[in-house]
Amino acid sequence: MSKAKKKAKQKEEWTPELLVFCCNWCSYAGADLAGVSRFQYPPNMRIIRVMCSGRVDPTFVLKALKDGADGVLITGCHIGDCHYISGNEYTRDRFKKLHEIIIKQLGIDGKRVRLEWVSASEGKRFADLITEFTNQIKELGPLKVF
Amino acid sequence: MEGSVVVIGGGIAGIQTSLDLTELGFKVYLVERNPSIGGRMAQLDKTFPTNDCSLCILAPKMVEVFRNPNIELMTYHEVKKVEGKPGDFTVTVLKKPRYIDETKCKGCGDCAAKCPKIEVPNVFDMNLGKRKSIYIPFPQAVPPIYVIDPEICLKLTKGVCGVCEKVCQAEAIDYEQKPQEIKLTVGAIVAATGFDMPAEELTSRWGYQYENVVSALEYERILCASGPFDGRVLRPSDQEEPEKIAFIQCAGSRDLHENIPYCSSVCCMYTAKEAIITKEHSENSNCYVFRHDIRAYGKNFYEFTQRAQKDYGVQYFQTKVSTVVEDHETKDLMIHYEDLKTGKFNDFHANLVVLATPLVPSKGTEELAQVLGVEVDKYHFFKEKSFFNKCLSSKDGMFLCGFCQGPKDIPETVADASGVASQVANLLNSVKYTEIKEKVFEVPEMEVKITDEPRIGVLVCHCGINIGKYVDVSGVVEYVEKLPYVVHCEANLYSCSPDSQARIKEVIQEKNLNRFIVASCTPRTHEALFQETCQEAGLNKYLFEMVNIRDQCSWVHMGDNEGATAKAKDLIRMAVAKARLLKPLTEASLDITPTALIIGGGVTGMTAALNIANQGFKAYKVEKEDKLGGNLNNLNVLYPIQEDAAILLNVIQDKVKKHKNIEIFLKSQIKDVKGFIGNYNVSIAMNKKSQGLKIGTIIVATGAQELKPNGDFQYNKKNKNIITQLELEQKLKEKDKSWLDNIKRVTTILCVDARQKEGITYCSNVCCGVSIKNVSILKELRPDLEIVVLYRDIQMAKKEFEEYYRERRKDAIFLRYDLDQIPTISKKGGKSEKYDIKVFDTNLQDEIEFETDLIILSTPMIPADNLDELAKMLKVPLDKNGFFLEAHVKLRPLDFATDGIFLAGCAQWPKNIQDSISQANGAAGRASRFLSAKTIKTSGLIAEVNPERCIGCGKCESVCPYNAIEIKEASMEFEDVSLVLKKSFINSALCKGCGTCAATCPNGAISVKHYDFDQIFAMIETYLLD
Ligand code: FES
Repeated sequence: MSKAKKKAKQKEEWTPELLVFCCNWCSYAGADLAGVSRFQYPPNMRIIRVMCSGRVDPTFVLKALKDGADGVLITGCHIGDCHYISGNEYTRDRFKKLHEIIIKQLGIDGKRVRLEWVSASEGKRFADLITEFTNQIKELGPLKVF
Repeated sequence: MEGSVVVIGGGIAGIQTSLDLTELGFKVYLVERNPSIGGRMAQLDKTFPTNDCSLCILAPKMVEVFRNPNIELMTYHEVKKVEGKPGDFTVTVLKKPRYIDETKCKGCGDCAAKCPKIEVPNVFDMNLGKRKSIYIPFPQAVPPIYVIDPEICLKLTKGVCGVCEKVCQAEAIDYEQKPQEIKLTVGAIVAATGFDMPAEELTSRWGYQYENVVSALEYERILCASGPFDGRVLRPSDQEEPEKIAFIQCAGSRDLHENIPYCSSVCCMYTAKEAIITKEHSENSNCYVFRHDIRAYGKNFYEFTQRAQKDYGVQYFQTKVSTVVEDHETKDLMIHYEDLKTGKFNDFHANLVVLATPLVPSKGTEELAQVLGVEVDKYHFFKEKSFFNKCLSSKDGMFLCGFCQGPKDIPETVADASGVASQVANLLNSVKYTEIKEKVFEVPEMEVKITDEPRIGVLVCHCGINIGKYVDVSGVVEYVEKLPYVVHCEANLYSCSPDSQARIKEVIQEKNLNRFIVASCTPRTHEALFQETCQEAGLNKYLFEMVNIRDQCSWVHMGDNEGATAKAKDLIRMAVAKARLLKPLTEASLDITPTALIIGGGVTGMTAALNIANQGFKAYKVEKEDKLGGNLNNLNVLYPIQEDAAILLNVIQDKVKKHKNIEIFLKSQIKDVKGFIGNYNVSIAMNKKSQGLKIGTIIVATGAQELKPNGDFQYNKKNKNIITQLELEQKLKEKDKSWLDNIKRVTTILCVDARQKEGITYCSNVCCGVSIKNVSILKELRPDLEIVVLYRDIQMAKKEFEEYYRERRKDAIFLRYDLDQIPTISKKGGKSEKYDIKVFDTNLQDEIEFETDLIILSTPMIPADNLDELAKMLKVPLDKNGFFLEAHVKLRPLDFATDGIFLAGCAQWPKNIQDSISQANGAAGRASRFLSAKTIKTSGLIAEVNPERCIGCGKCESVCPYNAIEIKEASMEFEDVSLVLKKSFINSALCKGCGTCAATCPNGAISVKHYDFDQIFAMIETYLLD
C-alpha cells in the first residue's frame, strides 16, 4: 500500500489488509461453502487461488508482507487429503522454515503468517478462521517493518 | 447396436461407471431418482481408513459428471419400462416435475430464502435438519437446481402463496410442470442403486424409537461440519454434548430375528471411524464400542480398528446386546448386554447410542428388478449371474455395480464400476465412439502473441440479487472500465445463461478482445463453461480468468455493502493484473501404443488380459512360472460355491491361450521399463533370451503368497502333521486320501502370525473362509472326523459368507482364543504324529487341553517375492506391508499415482477370487480407457523448466508425486564452450500442474503455467500497492 494511502487509512478506523492463499480443491471449496451457507466474516481479505497449497512459494508471502499485507494465511487440504497426494506435506515443511525466517530474521510476529488446513465441508470453520485471524491482526495493529 | 448406456443410480457407483464409460467411448444416460447425484457417499462425513473428508473427494467427481458432454444427467427421473435385448434396449424413463425450469434455474437460492416457513425434515440430513418446500438437497448438489416438494408447497397444494415465482429473477418457477415420459435407446443397462439404512424397521429392543438412539448414517450427519449441528457432537433430545457415547455393532445384521442373516460388511470400520472422529471433535467424550466379531474387511482396515483403541482410547467390549432402554427423565440410555469375555450380564449407561443397523438394498430394488427383468437373491439384492463375476446380472446386457449386488465398501464399489465399464465395452465394442461427441470449435483460434497489447473484456454478474443486492455492480463496472488494458466492461443479470454466452462471444469478436474475465460465482463449477464460450469465440481458453464475487464475497459480507463492493473491485483488479500476463497454452496430444502388458499370470492377470484382448487390443502376459494359473493351481475347491478350482482355471486358461490378441511369456521376468504412459519400452528376460516390447499401459497383477510360519506353532520338518492351510489344499487335491486314515481329530488354528502386535499386524481377510470351507470338505470326506477350530474373530464379511459359516458351525467345535494367550502345542511321545493342544477358551473362560492328530495353521497372505525390484523399475510405491500402494485408497483403488500403470488382485491386498476378478476387470477398464482413446491430451496447466536457471540439484524430482520430473544430462551451449550439465526435465504427459516443484526450486527455475511467479506477484502487488 502506498504510504499516502496507508496514512489516510490510519486516520479513519484502521482495517487490516489480509491475503489468503487457497488450494483449488479443499480450502477454496471450503471458502465457497462458507458462502453457500451464508456464514459471514469480515471483508478485508482477498483470496488468491492456486492449484495446490504446495504451489505457495515462500517468496509470495515475503512479497505480500513487503508490499504491505498485515497478515498472510495459507490454506490447503488436510494432511492426507491433498489432491496431489503429498503437496501439502511439502507446504507444511516449507512453512516451518519460512515461519522461522519471518520471526527470527525479519522480526515479524509469527501470528501474522499462518498455515491452516480447511476441508471442503468446513465452511463454518473457514468463516470462523477468517474472523479470528482478522481480529488477531487487528489486535497486533498495522505491520510496520518495511 | 447402440453405443450408449443407461446407468441407474447416481451414487459413487453410478458416477464412476459413467465417467469410465465415457472414457471408453460410450454415451451415458445417468438416471437418478433423487434431485441430486452423490448418493450415500455425499452424506458421509469422513471415509475410513484415511479419514478423508468424503465430500472433498466426491464433489470433484460430481462436477466432472455435470460437465461431461457425454453424460446426460437425468436427476429426478425414474426408469419405468425396459424392452429389447443386449445391444438394443428401449428404456422408458419418467421425468418427475421439479416445478422448476432446469434450463433457467441458477441455483441462487433466492426462492428458498423467501419461501414461507413451512419446514419438513431434511432427508439429506437423515431428517435431523429442516428444509423448506422449495429446496436444494445439499449445498454442493449436482445439478445445482432447486426442486419444489409438491406435498407441502402452498401454491401446489392450496393455490396460495407463489412467493418463489415472484422472487425468482430468472423466471425459473413453473407450477404447471407435468410428469413426462422419455424413451431412450441404449446398448446396455447398469444398475447401481445402492443401499438404505432403515433403522425404523428394527425390532424395538435396539431402542431406535428413543430420541437419543441414532443410526450410524444419522450420526454421520451429526459429525459433518455442514450437517445439522455444524459438526458439533450433540444429542438430538436436548442438543447437549453427550459424555458417554455407545456404538452398537451388528445391530440387526447377522441376526435371524431381524431377518438380516448377512453381515453388512462395513459397520466395524465406520464404527471405528465414527468413534475416532467423535474423539477428535469433542475431547471430553468417551466412546464405547459394543462389538461381536471384528470384521475389518480391506486393506489396513484391521489396524484402523486397533488404532481407535490404542491411539484414541475407544473402548471395545465383546458383547451380545439384548436391549436398549431409555430413562424417560434424562433421556439417557441403558444398554443391557452379555459380556462374552466373562459370560456375565451387565448394564451400561450411555448418553447417546449409535446403532450400526443393517444395510439393505435401497427401497424399490425389487420393483426395479421386475422392470429390468432380472433376478434378486434371497436377501433382496440383485443377483449376480455367477459368483465369479458379481457384476453380471441374471440377464445379458444388464450389469450390476456396487452395494445393490451385496454389501461392499467404497473402493470395492469403485473397482466394480471400472469393471462394469470394461465389460460393457466388451459387449458393445463394435459401436464404441458412435454416440460420443467431440467438441469441435468452428471459429479458428486467433493468434495471441505475448507482445500484443492486452485487450481485456470484463463481465460483472448480478446473479439475480445474489451479488447485486450486496455489491454495487454499476459502481464496480465504472471502476473496472478505467483499469489499464480494460477495453470493455459490462454487467448482466446471469452470466451463466445461454444468452450471456452469446453475448460474451459477440463482445470478444466485436471488440477484438484477447483476454476475458467473468466476475460471478465460483470457478469450481463455472470456469469450464466460460472457457468453452471463449473457445467458441476463437479465444484460447487459458486467456480466460474468473473472479469469485459471490460465494467468496457478496454471500459472506451481506451486512457490509461497502466492504463487499471494495472487495469485489480489488478482486477484479487483481484478476485484470493477472490477465495481462496470461499466455495462450496448448494441450499437447500424445499417441498411445495400443498394447497392454500384464505382469502376472494368475486368475487376475488372465482375466485382465482377456478383457483387454476382447476389446481388440494386444495384450502381453508375463509370468515367472512355467505355467499360467498362479495360486489357483494349488487350490482344491472354491467356496462358497464348492466348485473345483481346476474347472475355473481350465476355462479361463483355455480362453487366454486361444485368444489371438494375447501373447504369453512364461518363465519370464521384466528386466527393464523405460518411458511413460502410452510409450513404454519394456524388455523381458526369458531363459537367457530377452525381448523388447512397445507398450501403452501396464497392469501389475503379481499376486501374493501364503506365509510359512517360521518355526511358530511347532511348524517344522519333524512334525509331519502340522501343516499350513495351503498344504492341506494340496493334500485334498490328491486322489489318494490315505493320509487321512489314521486321523481322528483335526485342529485348525486361525490367525497364525496374523493380527499380531508386531510383525504382521494386518488381517489377511481370506483365511477364515478357506479354513471353514476345508472344515466342511474334511467332514464330507470323513463324517466321523472330529474338527476343532481355534479362532479369534471370524472374518466372513461377504453377502453369502455369513450363512456359509453358520451352516458349517455344526461341523466343528469352535473355541475362541485371545492374542494374549495363544494356544500351545506339544508333541506326544512315541512315533505317531499326535499332539497336545492347550488353549484358553475366552467364551468359557477356561483352559482346555486336548489331543489332536492333525494341525492346520491358517497363516496370512504376504506379498510375492522381489516386488521391490519391480516397483523400482515401474517407479511405483509399495506400502508398509510390501503390497503395492494404489493412488488413493478410496476412489482410485486400481490406479497408481503415475498415469498409465494399474494394479489388481492380491498384488494390492489379499483377496478372494471374486474380488480379484472384479479388480482385474476394473484395472482392464482403467487401462483400456487410454488404449481406446488412442491419444491423450495433456493439460495446459503444467510446470516448465528454464534450463538456463536450472542447477540440476534434483529437489524438484524428489517432491514430484507423479514421477513427472527426471534429472538428465543435457548439453548446454555457452558462448564458446558447450558443457554437459545435469538439468531437470518435466514430462508434460505426467505433470498435473500442482506447482510443488516450482515452490521447491531454490533457483526459481520452474514456472507453473497459469499460476506463474509474475502472475501471482502481479496480483499481490496490485492488491496491496495500487
Ligand atoms: S490440493 Fe489442496 S493442498 Fe494440495
